[in-house]
Amino acid sequence: MSVSEKFDHQPAANRLRSAFLSQEVVLLVILIAGVLILSTRTSVFLTVDNILNQGRLMTEVALVALPMTFIIVTGGIDLSVGSIFGLSAIVLGYSWQNLGLPLEIAIIIALVVGAICGLINGLFIVRVGVPPLIMTLATLALYRGLAEGISQARSARGFPEWFYVLGQGNFLGVPTQLWVFVIAAIIFGIVLARTTFGRTLYAMGNNELGARFSGLPVDRVKLIIYTLSGLLSAIAGYIFVSRVSTTRSDMGSGLELEVIAAVVLGGTSIFGGSGSIAGTVIGVVLIQLLKNGLSLAGAKNDATIVVIGVVLIFSILVNNFIQHRRGTAD
Amino acid sequence: MTAVTTEYPSKAKSSSLWKSLRSILASQEAILAITLLALVVLVGAANPRFLAERNMSDVLQGNAYIAVAAIGMSMVIVSGNIDISIGSAIGVLATMCGLIATETELPVIFSWLLPLLGGALIGAINGFFVAYLRIPSIVVTLGMLSILKGGLIVYRGGETIYNLPPDFGLAQLRPLGIPSPVWFMIVLTVLAALWMRYSATGRSIYAVGGNKEAAMLSGINIRSVIMKVFIINGVFAGISAVLYATQFTSIQAVVPPGLELSIITASVVGGVSILGGTGTVIGSTLAAVLLRAIGSSMVFINVSPYWLRAVQGVLILITVLADILRRRQLRRH
Amino acid sequence: MQPLLELRNISKSFPGVQALSKAQFEVREGEVHALLGENGAGKSTMIKLISGLYRPDEGEILLQGQPVVFHNPRDAQAAGVATIYQELSLYPELTVAENIFMGHAPRNRFGMVDWGAMRQRARELLASLNIHDMDVDRKVGTMTVGNRQRVEIAKALSMNARILIMDEPTAALTEADVQQLFEIVRLLRERGVAIIYISHRLEEVFLLADRVTVLRDGQYVGTKPVKETREDELISMMVGRTIHNLFPKLPAQVGEPVLEVENVWRKPDVRGVTLTVRAGEIVGLAGLVGSGRSEFAQVVFGISPADSGTIRVNGKRVEIKSPADALKLGIAYVPEDRGTQGLIRQMNIRENVSLAVLRDIARNTFVNRKAERSLAERMIEQLSIRAYSSDQVVNKLSGGNQQKVVVSKWLASKPRLLIMDEPTRGIDVGAKAEIHRLISELAQQGMAILMISSELPEIMGMSDRILVMRGGTIVAEYSRDRATQEIIAAAMMSEAAPETIVPGNAATFESAAL
Repeated sequence: MSVSEKFDHQPAANRLRSAFLSQEVVLLVILIAGVLILSTRTSVFLTVDNILNQGRLMTEVALVALPMTFIIVTGGIDLSVGSIFGLSAIVLGYSWQNLGLPLEIAIIIALVVGAICGLINGLFIVRVGVPPLIMTLATLALYRGLAEGISQARSARGFPEWFYVLGQGNFLGVPTQLWVFVIAAIIFGIVLARTTFGRTLYAMGNNELGARFSGLPVDRVKLIIYTLSGLLSAIAGYIFVSRVSTTRSDMGSGLELEVIAAVVLGGTSIFGGSGSIAGTVIGVVLIQLLKNGLSLAGAKNDATIVVIGVVLIFSILVNNFIQHRRGTAD
Repeated sequence: MTAVTTEYPSKAKSSSLWKSLRSILASQEAILAITLLALVVLVGAANPRFLAERNMSDVLQGNAYIAVAAIGMSMVIVSGNIDISIGSAIGVLATMCGLIATETELPVIFSWLLPLLGGALIGAINGFFVAYLRIPSIVVTLGMLSILKGGLIVYRGGETIYNLPPDFGLAQLRPLGIPSPVWFMIVLTVLAALWMRYSATGRSIYAVGGNKEAAMLSGINIRSVIMKVFIINGVFAGISAVLYATQFTSIQAVVPPGLELSIITASVVGGVSILGGTGTVIGSTLAAVLLRAIGSSMVFINVSPYWLRAVQGVLILITVLADILRRRQLRRH
Repeated sequence: MQPLLELRNISKSFPGVQALSKAQFEVREGEVHALLGENGAGKSTMIKLISGLYRPDEGEILLQGQPVVFHNPRDAQAAGVATIYQELSLYPELTVAENIFMGHAPRNRFGMVDWGAMRQRARELLASLNIHDMDVDRKVGTMTVGNRQRVEIAKALSMNARILIMDEPTAALTEADVQQLFEIVRLLRERGVAIIYISHRLEEVFLLADRVTVLRDGQYVGTKPVKETREDELISMMVGRTIHNLFPKLPAQVGEPVLEVENVWRKPDVRGVTLTVRAGEIVGLAGLVGSGRSEFAQVVFGISPADSGTIRVNGKRVEIKSPADALKLGIAYVPEDRGTQGLIRQMNIRENVSLAVLRDIARNTFVNRKAERSLAERMIEQLSIRAYSSDQVVNKLSGGNQQKVVVSKWLASKPRLLIMDEPTRGIDVGAKAEIHRLISELAQQGMAILMISSELPEIMGMSDRILVMRGGTIVAEYSRDRATQEIIAAAMMSEAAPETIVPGNAATFESAAL
């Protein structure tokens, strides 16, 4: 019980907040250091073009990382995001090209399918009591399988011009999808930090039973966050199709890794109960920076996933350590 | 508080044979074997070419490397953990196998044995993080997955390995007319099943996965059990990789996509409870063969093989649901 | 005769609680020694010391006269101590034989588990306990609680236990299972095993035990041979004297019924409960652990909704399907387990206090921090919670202050009916008195209060009316002036005493008091 006297007299929330802050600050420092190093190494890095382009490239991961932060804060996980991403992309292309639906309708169907995929995860987790890890591992296979089955290895292409605006266009000189992400990040950030919904997420992550006994709508909240995760994965899938101009059934495979790594790197505890959207955003940016830096340094694009893997494990170790110091672990 | 129900003492000793027969028939292994048989009969009736010796041998042999890897995976899952890096590990170890054969002067036997050592090392690293640093296995192996997968691409750039020595093809041997992968699959399954049933360590895997607290009170060293399980899993991944690498005349140095899911599916559908504490490797091997049979059937009854993964997903979901419902039933008694 | 195991001058304290002070205990070979005491008297601490889960702060443990130190459960096991836990520590997915021999299975000469020998020895062990109808190949998870317990006992014997600790072994058993358990206990006694038997049910003590030791408030009260004592003597040893100033019951105006419950069932624990709680009234609900008290409270609070029966709140019939429903009806529940049910311990006071009223103090779903803070500060002041600010994490508070935070959370919801489950368990005397005073004041202000407690002095001191629950139903009712600890304890514990059974009827108090 005696962590340290000095510690005990410091107002606790400040202490918690400062611990969060320190994680965010540390990340920010690393980020700036990274930017500095890269900018001295190559002249390309610190150009407006490159930075905006990096923003364009990271949007898909970043969007999915937002609801993933919610889910991990509650102590859950969603491994099926990459498969939902791929399935939505395929459904979009299929409805438009094979079913001959108007593209606008096809987009809506793709998003609805994504949300339903998430809802199915949520329903099984809440109603049947399947652990999130297992449920979403099963649907990782199932949704990817549906994508492969529907697409039959065919891809859709040749979309009308307006379709590419979201993925390849600019608005006020900034990539369109980056606007979508910034708005989404602000909304998610406010919801988590300021609203009753966000408070409920933290309460669930720290003590689900206690939250239930306090009359909080635990089950409904779970349904909402898994559905959100499906929806945002679908939106990300749509943006991706718009960016690369085609659909393929293996799109988004491995997405869950990058997303989870970003969230955990951003200071969200894998055991639930703490984390922030700001941290997640920094985590996403940092990973994108790493990728960019490596590719500028001449490394192959795929090399970055090695780094992401290391980052994931390393940041969990650091998190564990911080939690331990804070005395809230266990 | 648990419900208290009256239990009928087994007054009918005579029916115990029937009872044990029934319990055997209700086991996951029997369900799988019957499903497999029914599938072969039905598809064979619909299209007799399915029953051709060539195809039957492919059904048995095609997923042998998955079955072998699923043995280790089953142990990991019984202990209450999971390893999603196994597909990448097999990719890396298969490449290692090919490179030792082509780029070194070592006798070919080393190209078959060193990957097992490599597998053990990967397993030891996973195990260390899970057992001693108490990081959830899903996170550790997710990290390991990307490190191995990315590392392989960086190192080899997806290049295919040709010019394998003539005596390299371990998986192409046919002792007693039966393809060697089938031998490996059967012998390793039987050995592993015996080990899990008869060795103290084997039993303690069930204890750790079934009730950690009780295991600790029984004096079982939980950390060392988890460590061992991951190392053994790595060795099986190594064997699986060698079988995978030596089946053709070249090796594509990439991670086979979705391999970890196929292996996990085999284990889960084989009756290894993903909630820990129960399951056998016989079931997982049968499930691996069943998955291949399903894939092959799809071709013969004109269903696109692209639906295979969806079928896998549905199978996992059904098995997991059945397991949860069964456990709920158990608890109610 | 030298005792097999002896505890001398044992003290053990936890933050804020002196669980045992200078207590003593001994057990001989071939003896059943019962350990008695109310909840919180220190029984379970003592058991945990003997089974190696805790180590004493002071005093020593002697095994056959030699001092021993158990660093962990393994050491205790090696010394021949085995414990049958209330929550069974078995592997539901494994067979009977394996459960018995996990960790020390018979091996053949190749070092492999010898299943044949294991089954054979399991059968022998069970047969030695007069259990002949158990299939050793059956999965333990499919068996009844009684049979699982027999497996636990066989497991203990397979490790050559000389000292067997049984903690409330009959709590979840059917009558037939209880009889079989008693036979096993007697059999073991004949074989020279020393048995430490903990039970709330006095008739069991008289049926089984040779000697009985009573603990109270962590202190040793005395040891008696069972033949030389009587039930009422033991009860008065257990409950001690009442300290009346601890319970400042204030007179309150009793008004209209707030909660009316009629024949409510929720199997298996709640079996036809009927009761009424009025505005301004404190109703005490007494009963042993496992009598269905907390389960009943959770039915009313919507955590496990009723299967059948009617519930009325303020005269209106209601359906309570979730805690949120209960909250809307003005029902609040201070649960039994503070740590896992009452608090989010990693969060601060402010965040805990506002948990049940988040929506009310939010402006368009935005948490109003200012309102939240002032609510928390008001509560800190009103309940004199000792904390330096509303930002203090509740984990760091003492037990009493943590409990006050839980109470604050529910007071913030301005309930009509406050259900309190063990409101003062594990907190110090000062905080206890404060919480009691608060309960009284709330009743005075017109709140209806249903107080569940295992502590008889608390029930006696606080309640206007006392209900006793046993076997999932209300078995007796007493008015404040008629109740004595002895009658209540008797109604709680014994199947006998039918003259005290007054199902929800105040007219027969006279006979109850006899």
